[in-house]
Amino acid sequence: MLSSDTIAAVATPRGTGALAIVRVSGPEAIAVVARCFGDRIIGAPSHTAHAGYLSSPTGELLDQVVVTVFRAPSSATGEDVVEVTTHGGDVAPQLVLRALLDAGARVADPGEFTQRAFLNGKLDLAQAEAVADLIHAAAGRAHRTSVAHLRGDYSRLLDALRHELLDPAAYLELELDFSEEDVAFADRTALSALLARAEATLSELLGSYRFGALVRDGVRVAIVGRPNVGKSTLLNALVGYDRAIVSAVPGTTRDEVEAEAEIDGLRFRFTDTAGLRETEDAVEAEGVRRALARAVEADVLLYVFDVIGSLAPAERLFLTAARAARPDVPVLLIANKADLVDTEPDSAGAILCAAKVAGDPGVGAIVRAIGEAARGGVADAEASRVVTNARHRQHLAAALAAVVRARAALSSRVSADLLALDLRVALHELGAITGAITNEHVLDQIFSRFCIGK
Amino acid sequence: MNHSEYDVIVVGGGHAGAEAAHAAARMGARTLLVTMALDRIGQMSCNPAVGGIGKGQIVREIDALGGLMGVATDRAGIQFRMLNRSKGPAVWSPRAQCDRMLYAATVRSLLEDTPGLFLRADTAADLLTGPGETDRPCVLGIVTQLGQTFRAPCVVLTNGTFMGGVIHVGEQKLGGGRMGEGASHGLTGALHRLGFESGRLKTGTPPRLDGRTIDYDALEEQPGDMKPSPFSYLTDALPQEQCSCWLAYTNPAVHDALRAGFDQSPMFAGRIEGRGPRYCPSIEDKIDRFADKDRHQLFIEPEGRDTYEVYLNGFSTSLPEQVQIDAIHRVRGLERAHLLRPGYAIEYDYFPPHQLRYTLETKPVDGLFFAGQINGTTGYEEAAGQGVLAGINAALKLRGDDSLVLRRDQAYLGVLVDDLVAKGTDEPYRMFTSRAEHRMLLRQDNADARLTPTGHRLGLASQARLDRMLARAEALRATIKNIQTVAVTPAQANEYLFSAGTTLLSEPERLARVVLRPEVDLESFLHTTGLYDRVVVEGAGIESVVVRAEIALKYAGYVEREREAVDRLAALDELQIPPAFDFSAVQSITHEARQKLTRIRPSNVGQASRISGVSPADVQALVVLLRRRSHNVSRETSEAV
Repeated sequence: MLSSDTIAAVATPRGTGALAIVRVSGPEAIAVVARCFGDRIIGAPSHTAHAGYLSSPTGELLDQVVVTVFRAPSSATGEDVVEVTTHGGDVAPQLVLRALLDAGARVADPGEFTQRAFLNGKLDLAQAEAVADLIHAAAGRAHRTSVAHLRGDYSRLLDALRHELLDPAAYLELELDFSEEDVAFADRTALSALLARAEATLSELLGSYRFGALVRDGVRVAIVGRPNVGKSTLLNALVGYDRAIVSAVPGTTRDEVEAEAEIDGLRFRFTDTAGLRETEDAVEAEGVRRALARAVEADVLLYVFDVIGSLAPAERLFLTAARAARPDVPVLLIANKADLVDTEPDSAGAILCAAKVAGDPGVGAIVRAIGEAARGGVADAEASRVVTNARHRQHLAAALAAVVRARAALSSRVSADLLALDLRVALHELGAITGAITNEHVLDQIFSRFCIGK
Repeated sequence: MNHSEYDVIVVGGGHAGAEAAHAAARMGARTLLVTMALDRIGQMSCNPAVGGIGKGQIVREIDALGGLMGVATDRAGIQFRMLNRSKGPAVWSPRAQCDRMLYAATVRSLLEDTPGLFLRADTAADLLTGPGETDRPCVLGIVTQLGQTFRAPCVVLTNGTFMGGVIHVGEQKLGGGRMGEGASHGLTGALHRLGFESGRLKTGTPPRLDGRTIDYDALEEQPGDMKPSPFSYLTDALPQEQCSCWLAYTNPAVHDALRAGFDQSPMFAGRIEGRGPRYCPSIEDKIDRFADKDRHQLFIEPEGRDTYEVYLNGFSTSLPEQVQIDAIHRVRGLERAHLLRPGYAIEYDYFPPHQLRYTLETKPVDGLFFAGQINGTTGYEEAAGQGVLAGINAALKLRGDDSLVLRRDQAYLGVLVDDLVAKGTDEPYRMFTSRAEHRMLLRQDNADARLTPTGHRLGLASQARLDRMLARAEALRATIKNIQTVAVTPAQANEYLFSAGTTLLSEPERLARVVLRPEVDLESFLHTTGLYDRVVVEGAGIESVVVRAEIALKYAGYVEREREAVDRLAALDELQIPPAFDFSAVQSITHEARQKLTRIRPSNVGQASRISGVSPADVQALVVLLRRRSHNVSRETSEAV
């Protein structure tokens, strides 16, 4: 057992929920809980649940709980683990945690349970990172992606790519280290084709990082437009409940309002910005500045205008500026208040909607459009290919750069030592994500396949 | 003068022993070299050649530090070639055929010219040890077969293949360290008693033929370079007349003849237990493992200028003598070849090198150093390199100075020692350029810049050597400066650029930019444009300054990236692992990694990361764990306050 101390933390999110879990892990986990719950769990077998009352070490009755015992090494962390299921809300779990700390546990650092699981061989590195992502993933798709990592799908894809690259790397090293021998040399045409494929795969994986980040962090949607075009109403329609202040006086929404909704497995974080209006009012000017800032920070921009009016020159300038600042951010134009016109107006590529009208089909169209814009062409079935981890992205980017250099080297008259160097870097970077291919592996490959040796 | 007390005793007079004794004596240690036969000092037991891919770079490094091998090769070399010229400067590798007898005589005379170095013909049979300043024993000297006792606080063992050596030819089996020479017994047992573990390795050598009975007209000639490049940074001219090697090929009839003897092969019959080198297989191994190949290349290499003996490179074998003869006679050009000496396999004791420190001093016994094949390596160059380092570190230990440990990004010798100590080896270890992750930095043209200042500071490299290195560096600097400042006009350049198939200039361009084009060869470009004399500042020594300047400019981007990689990896080397750290308790790393780490006991995470079987995930786990320990320590400290 590596850890000398016993840690505890509330394992469920704060606030909502009928029940909460306080988790304890470490050599003293069972003893610590026994001090508050009773000695009957001291000898309890692993994977057993025990109902009863939990008190503070001084005897103060705190809550009716269920205590579940997991013994090392058959637990999530590989250590003795006790999970105390308490009543939900803010109070009960905190009181129970306090009692367990008084009984000898220490508050866990962020991620410490995962770290212990990793150190005790319960998770590999990519899996441990996936758990961290899972903890932060709030919506269904993020959960699926992290689960796919946990199953190892992600590692398998990269492993396959590494093994494909190992082959030409071995051939090139063969060429460099055994050029005096009567051996075949690396087939440049095949290598070129392989590198092109590797570049495509790596580019696709890297492209998925943007989507992966959206999966992990949620999609930031900024709702922007002039005052009184119905932005707050649209926000409420999108998230399905009254959150923002809705009023007929222009400029009511002075602070940004955030609301979250899960749509089609993705988590969306909507920001309703202050209306865009030229004004002398300092607070209002601040709102405009924030709207512009939000607009360039967003993953998707909803620009709302009143279908009766049309886009003013100033609005067109704003849109041009926002598009120039973040060309990768999709902009959806929303022509609101369609309920106020009788005839079908010219929407000029905008989505027509009537946010005020319950069940308006335009709102559904916007929801679908946001989903598509966020997904950016990443297919649903490819969830396991989504890169969500920043460290992985860094290694993938370095690998891609090396593959691109190697392709360039192949097409110009660059010598084989440099070409081999780029391939080595690519292998090294991919290896840093899941496992190494060392120069020893390259030599093994050579010796097993080629007749070497004078 | 006391004839039984020395500062350093070197056991063995091969390539490791000669370098170790020379280096220690040059650095001021009174040194005794004990060897079984004085006339076998510097003997080339196998092929009569020095250098090759990965190995030539090592010879340059030995020379840059002030060692013998480069100088001896230049005096005895009869065919010089720069291998891999078309593959890029990172893998350019010098190689030379040598006159075997002249080489050995040269090494011996270089040793005789070294003040403070004494030779003695005898065989070491036992080690003298006593309690040391640490909890480990320390070495006190050696006892010889003739009953003599020699005392010294440092002993370097370079026994080669002689410890427990057994020679196999077919079903014949005889004790010996080389054909015609006895084996050495006793030392292995002495080392076992001191707590060392040993293993068995195997290597082999091909038959030697009488050159007068070879039909050279039927063979393919392989001449040396038109402009042979010497090995030593000190050499200006090569004294020996150059000659050719010859290429021959096996054929299916040869393979049939060899197969007929497989049932008498000590390899296939399991009489040889030791593991042989995969990159230097016997001919029977080649036709057995690569049965679909209907021919294998053979190299006929002269053994010297004054002998007809030739070496049949590529035909290493331990098959019965008659099978060897029958097979050779079926090779085109060798139909009438007379066999001078059969090929044979040899098994010998080695001491797995995880038992070494980075100084090549052993972990179990203070003052005892190992160098060469005793550590599981193969090759003259690998042995000589270890010899230099062991000799240097023995002398430094006597002085009480900091030891010399070369890094992987500093020298092939650093790669060699780190591979041996951190990874160990269970087959004969040979250097390859692919073992060096910083191959771009470790070139044959820059070994002097990398190592001569160190060699000079230690007292091994002479002042003349340092001056030479500084002059080369200055010529390079001045030439690069000219290339960066001189402009070339379209009229001067376009004829060359057109014929090289690259875009023409429309206005004057700085030379440095034109050089970057892969299609442009700097030397011929300078000659064509008439700029050569304006740009090039000539300097003495290996590789012309034009070529070196071209490497520096064309490879700058790659070298820069290598440097960054070196810096990144250095962080892992700085994360120390406490000496008492219990690897077996780390559950988050693989079983294999736990075993390897427990056996090798790396002292920092960088070393751990280079052990085969230790994956990046294992390394990450160690990093997390070690950081957490230091975190916990600081937590406890702050709580105590």
